[in-house]
Amino acid sequence: MTEAKQMADYEPKIVGFLCNWCTYAGADLAGTSRMQYPPNMLPIRVMCSGAVDSVYILRALLEGADGVFMGGCHPGDCHYVSGNYKARRRMVLFSSIIRSLGLDEDRVWLRWISAAEGRKFADTITEMTEHLRKKGPSPFKEKWEV
Amino acid sequence: MKGTLKVEAKNPEATIRGLFAKWLKEGRLSAILTPAYSDAGTATVALFSNPEKLAEAAPLMPAMSVNSASIAAEIAREPSPNAKVGLFLRPCELRAVVELMKLKQVLPDSLVLIGADCPGTYKAAGFRNVRGKDADFDNKHVREQSGYADNVNFRMGCQMCEFPKPLVYDVNIGFIGMDPDKELWFEAATDKGKALLEGIELKEQDEPEKRKKALESLSASRKAKTAKRIEELDKTMLGPEKLVEYFSDCLNCHNCMKVCPVCYCKECFFDSDTFQRDIGEHVRVSMRKGATRMPSETLLFHLTRMNHMMASCVQCGICEDSCPVTVGLAALFKKVSQNAQKEFGYLSGRSLEEPLPLTTFFDELKKIDQE
Repeated sequence: MTEAKQMADYEPKIVGFLCNWCTYAGADLAGTSRMQYPPNMLPIRVMCSGAVDSVYILRALLEGADGVFMGGCHPGDCHYVSGNYKARRRMVLFSSIIRSLGLDEDRVWLRWISAAEGRKFADTITEMTEHLRKKGPSPFKEKWEV
Repeated sequence: MKGTLKVEAKNPEATIRGLFAKWLKEGRLSAILTPAYSDAGTATVALFSNPEKLAEAAPLMPAMSVNSASIAAEIAREPSPNAKVGLFLRPCELRAVVELMKLKQVLPDSLVLIGADCPGTYKAAGFRNVRGKDADFDNKHVREQSGYADNVNFRMGCQMCEFPKPLVYDVNIGFIGMDPDKELWFEAATDKGKALLEGIELKEQDEPEKRKKALESLSASRKAKTAKRIEELDKTMLGPEKLVEYFSDCLNCHNCMKVCPVCYCKECFFDSDTFQRDIGEHVRVSMRKGATRMPSETLLFHLTRMNHMMASCVQCGICEDSCPVTVGLAALFKKVSQNAQKEFGYLSGRSLEEPLPLTTFFDELKKIDQE
């Protein structure tokens, strides 16, 4: 496949980890309110953003996802008091490691979206999809040697 | 409490052995863990309880076969009020012990941490040929200070080590910037350490300027060397293409994880059922890209391991020593962990009070309470 053709056929694939109490409910609100957003994200409901180990983000990326989205409750609103703080600290570490290795940290997004923010959810997913569309496919998409 | 101790018969190693024997005989320690030469002349570590056996102990051996913090985790996991075990450790080993204490994998109560200066060590593999039959080998290297660092057998982790003096210890025994044929430097930082030095004739004084300067200049030259190594590393590792290539020799044996002192899980996540795929699943994964490298998840293992232990990595480089295909892990982990810890203003093994960066959110929680 030529690169131009590859870009033309390219639809970003995003794996999303949505916290049960906030972002997943926010996604639900976006849906029940009939807000439009691109179908590029595959949502996975998790009990807390703090429960998402880096291994799941890495596995998605290495197996060819173009981006990984993580949604959690706003700071201070975690159903389990400090789960989103854990996620945030883990993300700082994750981004630092990814940068040190010369990989693209911008393919992984962590955002706080509450159950009331259906609009924000739809907008964020739209923004991320467009962002990844400009970026092009993940370098690991075709790489079987990982 | 700090000062110098007179060295007997121009033999610093025997002087330290003499102290070990004294501590064991007086019952101040029930056993002591220290490097030792096996009969075959290989570098090992042994737990000595009989003072008469101490002839084989080689506390100043310039070779590292294992990061002894792993051994500390093996022997001090359960509380044992009656035992008092001395651990004679290098700076990187002490840093790892501190991390393991914070991770609640090593209980401090029954341990006395005895540190020693370390200008660097040889690889354990092939070390007996480097040493030959030289009985004064260890002392010669102590006299040479860091002069042997350019030897081809010098460990990669040690080449980049900027901590020749331990950071946390009960007692530290120093020889850098001293005349080790005449005197050794002793420093007790805690009550446990002071108790150990009771009855030993120290010439109490402040740390000699000459020693401070020697430590500083060694540390500075190592930092410069590290920067150069990382520059070389970036040329071969940076970016997705090169990163995959960097790990392309990896056999997926997980040795690096098994010897790592701060990779403390009893069962690694990668050995768990999560990674047991049945044949259908293997084929399904393979269909995604048309092929899968086998054994699967090789790069995922390394990247995940970094995410799990980088905040505590002490950059000892024992991972590289254990690698059968010599993947350049020491420089890689040095770079990645240095950057990661800087992000949190943290340094692994610097202090027992400094909280682990990934599990503290006191400031954040306090803010919520105020609101």
